[in-house]
Amino acid sequence: MSEFQIQSVALASQQTAPAWLSHLRQQQTETWQAAAWPGRKTEAWRYTSLAPLENQTWQLAQACSAELPDDLVLSDALRVVFVNGHFSAQLSDPLPQGVTPFSRAQPEEQVLILAGLNQTLVADKHLFASLNGALLNDGLWLHLEPGQRLAQPIYLLHLQTAQQEGELAPVRILVQLGQSAEATLLEDYRVQAPGISAVSAVTELQLGANASLQHYRLNLEEENHLHLGSVHATLAADARLQGFTLASGSRLKRLDYHLRHLGQGADLKLQGIYLPRGNQRIDYHTEVEHVVPHCTTDEVFRGVIADTAKACFNGRIHIHPQAQKTLAEMSNRNLLTSPRAEINTKPELEIYADDVKCAHGATVSQLNDEALFYMTSRGISAAEARVMLSFGFVNELVEGLALEELRVWLRPKIAAIFAQTSSLTRHLIHD
Amino acid sequence: MSEQVEKLIRKEYSAGFHTDIESETLPPGLNEEVIRFISAKKGEPEWLLEWRLKAFKVWQSMQEPDWAHVTYPKIDFQAISYYSAPKSLADRPKSLDEVDPDLIETYNKLGIPLHEQEMLAGVAVDAVFDSVSVVTTFREKLEEAGVIFCPISEAVHKYPDLVKKYLGSVVPQRDNYYAALNSAVFSDGSFVYIPKGVRSPMELSTYFRINEMNTGQFERTLIIADEGAYVSYLEGCTAPQRDENQLHAAVVELVALDNAEIKYSTVQNWYPGNEEGKGGIYNFVTKRGICHTRAKISWTQVETGSAVTWKYPSCILKGDYSIGEFYSVALTNNFQQADTGTKMIHLGKHTKSTIISKGISAGQSQNAYRGLVRMGPTAEGARNYTQCDSLLIGDRCGAHTFPYIESAHPTAVVEHEATTSKVSDDQMFLCQQRGLDAEKAVSMIVNGFCREVFKQLPMEFAVEAGKLLEVSLEGSVG
Repeated sequence: MSEFQIQSVALASQQTAPAWLSHLRQQQTETWQAAAWPGRKTEAWRYTSLAPLENQTWQLAQACSAELPDDLVLSDALRVVFVNGHFSAQLSDPLPQGVTPFSRAQPEEQVLILAGLNQTLVADKHLFASLNGALLNDGLWLHLEPGQRLAQPIYLLHLQTAQQEGELAPVRILVQLGQSAEATLLEDYRVQAPGISAVSAVTELQLGANASLQHYRLNLEEENHLHLGSVHATLAADARLQGFTLASGSRLKRLDYHLRHLGQGADLKLQGIYLPRGNQRIDYHTEVEHVVPHCTTDEVFRGVIADTAKACFNGRIHIHPQAQKTLAEMSNRNLLTSPRAEINTKPELEIYADDVKCAHGATVSQLNDEALFYMTSRGISAAEARVMLSFGFVNELVEGLALEELRVWLRPKIAAIFAQTSSLTRHLIHD
Repeated sequence: MSEQVEKLIRKEYSAGFHTDIESETLPPGLNEEVIRFISAKKGEPEWLLEWRLKAFKVWQSMQEPDWAHVTYPKIDFQAISYYSAPKSLADRPKSLDEVDPDLIETYNKLGIPLHEQEMLAGVAVDAVFDSVSVVTTFREKLEEAGVIFCPISEAVHKYPDLVKKYLGSVVPQRDNYYAALNSAVFSDGSFVYIPKGVRSPMELSTYFRINEMNTGQFERTLIIADEGAYVSYLEGCTAPQRDENQLHAAVVELVALDNAEIKYSTVQNWYPGNEEGKGGIYNFVTKRGICHTRAKISWTQVETGSAVTWKYPSCILKGDYSIGEFYSVALTNNFQQADTGTKMIHLGKHTKSTIISKGISAGQSQNAYRGLVRMGPTAEGARNYTQCDSLLIGDRCGAHTFPYIESAHPTAVVEHEATTSKVSDDQMFLCQQRGLDAEKAVSMIVNGFCREVFKQLPMEFAVEAGKLLEVSLEGSVG
């Protein structure tokens, strides 16, 4: 066992409430203990070092009061706030039927939650999923009946106060959509102090037949924050999932997406943007499995890597032998904007069926000289032109987002990531 | 059509015969003594024995790699015999007349231009029968140009400085499991040296044959193109049909000094196993070249044989403005497995690489492209273009793509594209509507699919390659 595993197992034993999750915690602790710690030669971790986890003393983040940040993404939404992994009724809106924090679940609901948890997970594929289970104490259960539609998007805000050095918080989300149910979920992770902290977040999405989910995940934390996140989804027949993920910040940010088409006619659209700067590390691993025929996947990831940051994108599309008539596309484009930035990308196809159309593409380059020249020759400063071009590179994805409030909120945020001073972004913010 | 197809499926491997020649073969097993025996047998100098022993030590400490997308029963390295030489070779023949007639017949069956065909084909052949080079032709003509083309065992004695300097300089002993094994027990292989500014007057060619039962073959090829030199090297393989799996772990090292160019072409048609997936060759090969300033190395390969292929011809683009190319067609049928691709390591400024890979899977085979493009922190203005396309024929086969792209320089540009599809119904309809039967139509479409690679091959090879694909694919349609 690694130093971090030993530490976190000790933390798991401190986690005693709620009692109805203790069996699950016990089980997951055993899995976590037995998990092989990755080395430099472990394929899934070859570009990402876990040293920041190991060189630190960790403690469980405790429930406490916190203040809402000023820059909330959504105002017209159902806000559900967790502070240090614990549900905060005080900061949250009144919750309707179907939106239940684990800590508020009735006994009969607890049974359903327990039955639903880990159903979409393949444990040995995602190292840190069992850590999340071992530490599990609270979470959000979104359970929609067949045909149910939520009037507003759900805005899940996770605040980490990080008042003490080395606070670690587990976050768990379980979404179960019945037949033809529809929902929108935005996960927003924030850290409120610059000290070292970490989050282990697992999201499980179970989409019933013809269900539709828009799922957004924002990870714009501080550099000293570590994020170990994964999203696992299963799609029944004709289900539609639109996923969006944005990551910047963190000395170590690992995000796994594991999405499975289990019913014919399911459709998946997954878009991602990663913008590591400074000395940040962002590692995306996505896997889309086509288990049945007639499903479609469209996956687009773009990254702009600056300074001495490193990013890793490993996307895999796996077509099982029965999954004929699959259409799957994956594209990954990267910009390196500094001589010491690094990108490692590996778009994989694993195909066992013949009547499919699959394609993937990957590019790595710097900003186009001609585009830069065009702009500077028109009186735009080189620095400003760079910001505009970098912004434009990822804005294509932002433009396509269905959630308008998010688009409006994101633009200045992204522009600010590219620019050191606000004068460089004056062309970008207006809608 | 089905009757004809049936016939074609049943078609026996045409190069599958076995020549009976008395061999001097070591009993199976591998230890230091075996290595000393091999070395002594070849009368090698002390340094080479030490070199082999060092490799053996490294090999013992290494693990057999398991990352490739292939499955096969574990190899018992102690069950393999590590030395085999045709006996009649104790006295090296001076001319073809002195060569064992059985050998000549074997070559004739394979259509190797060795005797009268020599002139017509315009090819110098360093024919490797099992592990020892038997005869080298055209030596004089090459010598005139200053080109050295000889068995590596001979080069060790005649050009020790060159061998010592370059052996293991591109593929070090500890590079990987099979390279280490090869370094310890390599039997023989070709040595080529092209002096400064010389353009080799002909295409050099080596034909490999695995002939001895249960004999692993461990070729070692070393090609050095000195400054401004050019050479085109052809390698073709075929093996007799048999049921026991055979291991082949070759190492090929290319050194292209400043402004030199090496073109290395391979047509690989080793026994792939029968329709049930029984038998066939295990082909675990390490091929790598190093390019100095403005040098160019071009790998072209057509892989249709072997039960398991594990092969990544690579280029280290060390010098500024150097160029690496990789053109590959890999076809798998029945139960064949191929995990093949390339590595392009860009270190120099303005280095360029092109990768064109065409994978065709039929039957119940698995065909994977695995490639690495690495732009080092010094690779200013480097450029890579990669295209790997897969074609699936039948619904029980697999086609996979595992491209690794690592870029650490902002001015480096990497482009990667991959597609996977089956032969489209539209194309088939068009062909059949014009009177081609399904078999011919597929063959034509596949040939078109591979055209970009075939046009890189020297003429004779291109013809052979096209024919090979046709034969290998027969029976997979309909």
